[in-house]
Amino acid sequence: MGIYILRRLLYMVVVLLFVIALTFLIFYVMPSADPAALRAGRSPTPETLAAIREQLGLDKPLYEQFWLYIKNLVLHFDLGNSFVNNAEVRDLVFDRLPNTLFLIAGAALLWFFSGVLVGTISAVKRGTILDRAAMGSALLAISAPVYFTGLVALYLFSDDIGLFPLLPGAGAYQQAEGFFAKIPTLIMPWIILAAAFSAIYARLTRSNLLEVMSEDYVRTARAKGLKERRVVVRHGLRAAITPVVTVLGLDLGILVGGAILTETIFNIPGIGRLSFDAIERGDLATIQGTTLFLALAVVLMNLIVDILYAFLDPRVRY
Amino acid sequence: MTRSQLRLLLVGVVAALALVVSACGGGDDGGSGGSSGGGDAARQETGEGKTGGVLRQLGASDVDYLDPGHTYYTGGYQVAYATHRPLYSFRPDNAEDPVPDLAADKPQISEDLKKVTVKIKPGVKFSPPVNREVTSKDIKYAFERFYSVNVGGQYGTYFSAIRGAPKTPTKGVKPISGIQTPDDQTIVFNLSRPEGVLIAAALVMPITMPVPEEYAKEFDAKNPSTYNTHVVATGPYMVKNDAKGNLVGYQAGKSIELVRNPNWDKSTDYKPAYLDGIRMTTNNSNAAVSAQQVLSGSHLVLDTNPPAAQLREAVTNRKGQFVQLPGGGYRYFPLNTTIKPLDDVNVRRAIVAAFDRDAALKARGGRFTGDIPTHFLPPGIPGFEEAGGMAGPGFDFLKNPRGDMNVAANYMKKAGYASGKYDGNEELLLVAANADPGKAQAEVAKAQLEKLGFKIQFRTVPQDAVYTEWCQVPKKQVAICGSAGWFKDFTDPQSMLDPTFKGANIFKEGGNNNLSQLDVPAIDRAMDKAAGLQGAERLKAWAEIDKMITEQAPAVPFSWDKTTIIWSKDVNGVGNPYYSALDFAFTSFR
Repeated sequence: MGIYILRRLLYMVVVLLFVIALTFLIFYVMPSADPAALRAGRSPTPETLAAIREQLGLDKPLYEQFWLYIKNLVLHFDLGNSFVNNAEVRDLVFDRLPNTLFLIAGAALLWFFSGVLVGTISAVKRGTILDRAAMGSALLAISAPVYFTGLVALYLFSDDIGLFPLLPGAGAYQQAEGFFAKIPTLIMPWIILAAAFSAIYARLTRSNLLEVMSEDYVRTARAKGLKERRVVVRHGLRAAITPVVTVLGLDLGILVGGAILTETIFNIPGIGRLSFDAIERGDLATIQGTTLFLALAVVLMNLIVDILYAFLDPRVRY
Repeated sequence: MTRSQLRLLLVGVVAALALVVSACGGGDDGGSGGSSGGGDAARQETGEGKTGGVLRQLGASDVDYLDPGHTYYTGGYQVAYATHRPLYSFRPDNAEDPVPDLAADKPQISEDLKKVTVKIKPGVKFSPPVNREVTSKDIKYAFERFYSVNVGGQYGTYFSAIRGAPKTPTKGVKPISGIQTPDDQTIVFNLSRPEGVLIAAALVMPITMPVPEEYAKEFDAKNPSTYNTHVVATGPYMVKNDAKGNLVGYQAGKSIELVRNPNWDKSTDYKPAYLDGIRMTTNNSNAAVSAQQVLSGSHLVLDTNPPAAQLREAVTNRKGQFVQLPGGGYRYFPLNTTIKPLDDVNVRRAIVAAFDRDAALKARGGRFTGDIPTHFLPPGIPGFEEAGGMAGPGFDFLKNPRGDMNVAANYMKKAGYASGKYDGNEELLLVAANADPGKAQAEVAKAQLEKLGFKIQFRTVPQDAVYTEWCQVPKKQVAICGSAGWFKDFTDPQSMLDPTFKGANIFKEGGNNNLSQLDVPAIDRAMDKAAGLQGAERLKAWAEIDKMITEQAPAVPFSWDKTTIIWSKDVNGVGNPYYSALDFAFTSFR
C-alpha cells in the first residue's frame, strides 16, 4: 500500500511539473499582454517599459525566469504578483478559497444526497410515472445552464429584486458577516449549483443501480428472504455508488478551481470569480495562479480517490 | 516621448492652463442650491445634507490603486479624493475652476514662469497611525516617490519641467532638486522651462496628496511598493486600518470600506462629508442585477453607467435618482493614415460618411451614455463653442449620425473607386477589447467597414493590451483601433488635440497616442502657433485646429461620453465631474 501511495504521489508531482511548464510557456513565452505594460499603466514610454521589465526580471533569459518561477513556487508557494489587483496571487487565492469551499461543500451535500435518492427511487420504480418524471426533470435540469437558472431564481425569489422575495439575493453573501450569517445567503446558490449536478448524479445512480440489481448476488439476497429495502440499500446501492463517489471526487476537484458561473451570478468572491475577472482583464499572473491551483486541486482529489479505491478494492494497487 | 517632443507639447499648454489657474482660490463654502439629482452635474445640490449613515456602492470593477502616487483611473480617483487632500481640487458643481484644498491659497507663479510657490494650510493631520500634522516635506516626498519604479507614477510628463525631475523611473526614491521646502508650510517648484502655469494647473492631481516619508519609506523600499495597502489619509475619510496601518478595509477585487478619519478637521476643508462611512463592493459581475438593486433598494449607489434598460428607467422615471456627468472626452475609431487605402483622405471621409455612429453609441448604452460628435473637441472643454458646439463645423461626411451611403459613395469615387465601394485586396487589421462594450462597439465598426467593401481582420485582446500592445505600437500595423478614447486630465483644448493628432507626437517605438498617425505639417504648425496664445484668441485658434483635424477624417468619432450615476431613493447623490463618479464627500441621505 505504501509503495502504491508513493507511486501516486510521484505521478502527481510529474503532472504538476508538466502543468507548471505548460502554463509558464503559455504565459511567459506567448503572452497576450505584456506584464510590464500592465504595471506601467497608461501611455508608458519605451524607457519606462524597459525599466519595469528590468524591475520584474522580464529581461532575464527564459530559463532563468523559469528557474526563479519554480524556486519561488516550491519554496514559498509564490504564484507571482497581480498588477491588476496590486496584490500577491497567493494571497488572492487563499483569500477566495474559503468562499468557494463554503459554496461547493453545501452544494455537494445537496446534490449528492438528492441525486442518489432520486436515482435510487427511479431505479427501484423503473418504468413508472415517478421514474419518468424524475428522469425528465433531471434532463431539464441538466439542459438549463446555471447562468439561466441563476438569473431566473434571482428575479423570482431574491429579497431585493425578486417577484416573490424569499431568499437573500446577489451580493448578500459579501454583506453578511460571520459563518452563520452567510448560510442563508448561500441557500439560493447552493440550490442552483446543486440542481445541474444532482440531475447527473441521479441518472448515474439509476443506471448503476439497475445494473447492480440484476446481478446474481442480489437475486441471492432476495432469495434469502431479505427485505427489499435492505437488498436495495445494503447490497445494491453500496456497490452502485462507488463510481458515483469517483465522479464526486473529480467534480469537487474541478469546482475547487472555481464554480465560475455560480460565483459570478451571485457575486460570491471565490476562486472562479477571481479567474473570470483575471481572464476579462488579461491579468496573466492571476490566470496562471488559478490555473495551477485548479490543477493542484484536481490532482489532489484524484489522489484521494485513488487511495480510497485502493482501500475499497485491493486489486487496483497492482 | 523625448524631452524635446514633450517640450513642444507642453509649452503651448501653459497659456491655456493659465485660465484654469487664474480661477483658483475661489473656495467659497456655500452650496449652489437648485434641485438635486435632476441629471445635470452643474445644477447639483451641494448645500446642507443630512448627517450620518453608511452608503453602499456597488461597483463593476475595483480601484486601480489606492496609492495616490500610482492611481490614474476613475475608481482610484473616487477613493483618493475622498480620503486625501491634494493641493487643489474641484467642487462637484465646477469642474473647470479648482479651489485650494490642502493649499492655503492660489499658487504664486513667478514672472518668468519658472517658479511656483504654494503655501499649505496648518492644522491638517494624517490619519492614524501617523497622526501628525502635514508639512510641505510630505508633498515633496509624494513627488519623489511618484517617480520610483516601485511606486509607478503614470503621468510624470506633466511635471517634467521641474528641475531634476527624473525622465525614467528611478531605482528607489531619489531627491528632486527642483522641489524645495523652505519651511513646513511652503513648497517651491523650480522649473527648467517657463511652464509655471502648466505646473500650477496640474497641482490638482493625486501626485500632490501628501505622503509621510518616515512611515511610507519602509513600504516604498519593496518591489512593488506596498504602501498601497498601508495608505494613510488626510481627507474626511480613510480606508479602515488597524493599529499598524494595515488596510483591513481593503480586499483586492472584493471590497473597500471607508470610515471617517478621526484626525480630519472640518474647519480646514470645504467638503461637508455628511456620511459616516462608505462600503464599496467591487467586481459585481451582473450590472443589470446591481442596477436594479440600486434603483429599488436603499442606501445604494452604482459606481458607473448602468446597463441600457436601467439607464432608461432612471432617466425617464426616476427623477432625483441620477446625475449625468460630462466625460470630458471623445471615443473614436482611429483610422491609420499610414496604411493603404486609409492613407487617402477621401477613403477616410467615405468611411466616416458611411458609418452608423448611432449604432456604435448604442453598443455602449445609447444616447444616455453620450452624444454623437460632430468634431473632436468635446463639450465642457474651453473652445468647444468656438469649434461649432454641438452642430460642429458642418462637414457633409459627419452630418448623418446613422451614416449616408450616397455621400460615402461620392468620396469613394473621388478616391478612384468607380463603384463607390472599395474593391481592392488590402485586408485591414481591426483590434478591439475582448469584453463589452469595447467588443460590441468594434463589431459595429467591422460591420460598417464591410458594408463599404473593406475586408477586415478582426482581433480581440484583453482591454489592457488594446492600447499598450497594439494600437500604441505603430509597427503592429493596426489599421483601425476598436477601443480608443481620449479624456481630459485638464480642461484645456490643446491637451485634447495635441497628443492625439499632432504629427510630431508619433512615437514609432510604442507609447504612441497619435493612433491615426496623422501627420499634416499645416496642422502641426497651427498647433505650435496656438500653443503660445492666451484667452479668446487661443480658444479660437484651437477651434480652427479642431476643424482642420476633422476635415482630415483621421478617425470616426462616435461618442462624447456622459457618465450617469444612479442611486437609491433615500440617497442625495452628488457627482464630481472632474473624475466622473459620485463624490463621497458631498453625498448624503435624504
